[in-house]
Amino acid sequence: MRRALQTLIVLFGITVIAFILVRVAPGNPAALMLPADATDEQLVAMEAFMGLDQPLIVQYFTYLGNLLQGNLGYSFTYRQDVTTLIAAALPMTAILGLAGMFLSLLVSIPLGMLAAVRRGTAWDTFAMIAALIGQSMSTVWLAVALVLVFAVQLGWLPTSGSGGIEYLILPAICVASQDYALTTRMLRSGMIGALGQDYIMAARARGVPKLRIYWHYAFKNAVLPLVTVVGSQIGMVLAGSLIIERIFNWPGIGLLMSNAIASRDLQLIQSILLISGFIYAVLNLFVDALYTVLDKRIAFA
Amino acid sequence: MNIAVPPRTAAAPVQTGRAFSAVRHKITSSKLFMIGAVGVFVIALICLLAPWIVAFDPEQGGLQSRLLPPQWFSEGLGGHVLGTDQLGRDVLSRVLVGGQYSLMIALTVVVGGMLIGIALGLIAGYFGGIADAIIMRVVDVMMSLPTLIVALCFVAVLGPSFQNVIIVLALTSWVLTARVVRGSTLAVRSTDYIAAARVMGAGGGRMMIREILPNVLPPILIMASQQIGVILLTEAGMSFLGMGIPAPTPSWGGMIAGGQAYIATAPWIVVAPGMALMLAVLAFNLLGDGVRDVLDPRSTN
Repeated sequence: MRRALQTLIVLFGITVIAFILVRVAPGNPAALMLPADATDEQLVAMEAFMGLDQPLIVQYFTYLGNLLQGNLGYSFTYRQDVTTLIAAALPMTAILGLAGMFLSLLVSIPLGMLAAVRRGTAWDTFAMIAALIGQSMSTVWLAVALVLVFAVQLGWLPTSGSGGIEYLILPAICVASQDYALTTRMLRSGMIGALGQDYIMAARARGVPKLRIYWHYAFKNAVLPLVTVVGSQIGMVLAGSLIIERIFNWPGIGLLMSNAIASRDLQLIQSILLISGFIYAVLNLFVDALYTVLDKRIAFA
Repeated sequence: MNIAVPPRTAAAPVQTGRAFSAVRHKITSSKLFMIGAVGVFVIALICLLAPWIVAFDPEQGGLQSRLLPPQWFSEGLGGHVLGTDQLGRDVLSRVLVGGQYSLMIALTVVVGGMLIGIALGLIAGYFGGIADAIIMRVVDVMMSLPTLIVALCFVAVLGPSFQNVIIVLALTSWVLTARVVRGSTLAVRSTDYIAAARVMGAGGGRMMIREILPNVLPPILIMASQQIGVILLTEAGMSFLGMGIPAPTPSWGGMIAGGQAYIATAPWIVVAPGMALMLAVLAFNLLGDGVRDVLDPRSTN
């Protein structure tokens, strides 16, 4: 319950930051809406129409009121409601994020377990080097390199766009590349910790098969911290998608945002900042709740 | 208990001669630290010496010299070692000068973010109460917004420039430091030697800087060293999206963005800054892991 309240405060804070964002923009927002030869009377009228003549606090509450009604404003570059634009783009980013997360876990679970079970061997070194490279790889660079090799040179996959699963593969690899390093490392240290516990020794002594020990006994305990990490990574997909969607022309939130930035569409930039923050905050709350369901030892304070 | 009490200084619990030589031993025996430190040193040195290494102006090209393939060292350093880009500019000199800017930005941002984080963290942890509540709510809000998105939004609104990139990144990267400093301050505040210092009449500011700060320094240094790589990647992502240092000043992200269209015919334009970025981040990440090995008493491996 306290955690939900905390999330509420965070959500409130995000609206403040989104509001500030538009306020710090240099230049008069009303002037931006008018042609360059507009008269002073027109400017004043526009300011009044946009509510800019009101005190800041009133402006903020007007903004908040609109938000609560689901009204995020109007995008002048797309000539559409921001809400409609975001609603169309979100599922695409979600698909990309989930595909990337799936790939990341597909790689990091075996890799992390192998590194822990064969600790100190070449396997372990290999896994840790792979994680380190993943951590150091810029998405920008990886994405362009993937396009160069698999789309341009080999011609196996399309360079960009959306459609069938073949369009999803390269961007999903890029999303996964941002995440697998951390999950591999977490899983490795979690497994090493779990394997050192007494109950594992007891299970070994009882003659429980090795694989069963690894999966059933150790993995179960190592997976808990992983839940938190994966949860926050899903939130971070939004940030990563900015570059990935731009390179692969994937019509999600990231592409919407990079277009909004390029055309300085303030309303759209503001709303995407807001939505990303909201999604991330709510996801974190959800992950915390999930964590308590998985781990009965923690009471949901 | 056997505690060596150095004369005159009430606190300084760890700074004995023996501890220093132990740290020195750890540094030289940590492979990660040595590799990372050497790598960072070499990269920084090459970037700083760029004006004396390369024969070309990184911002001046010529139409006759467009898209020349790498000549490697066939003409020594006088030729286009890594080829030229779409505007006929020398790629090697752009990579090196771009590296100067990237390193400068990353270091300034990390130091700036660290100072803000230390100040706010100390205030929150030492004074508690309302100051603590406000600072920690701001931290919560900042933590729930992906850094790249916030930084991009604000740079997009304020306009891309060298100063704006640094200011915005520093203002988004102090959060973790503040949290750690606050936690450590809380832990240190209730110890005996702080009580002793207080009895000896040390005031709030003096207490925070002289007595508490040295004890929270190791975790901050670990975090700062690990953050440099992250900032390098963020900055590259921003300049890739056109929200970093404005053209024609070279930046690794900007070079990748510009060369993307020529990837099939002139891949060196993209590969050179991509590799540079990866090596630089790798070196800083190794150094970061090394610093953790050296300073974190819990890490034994």
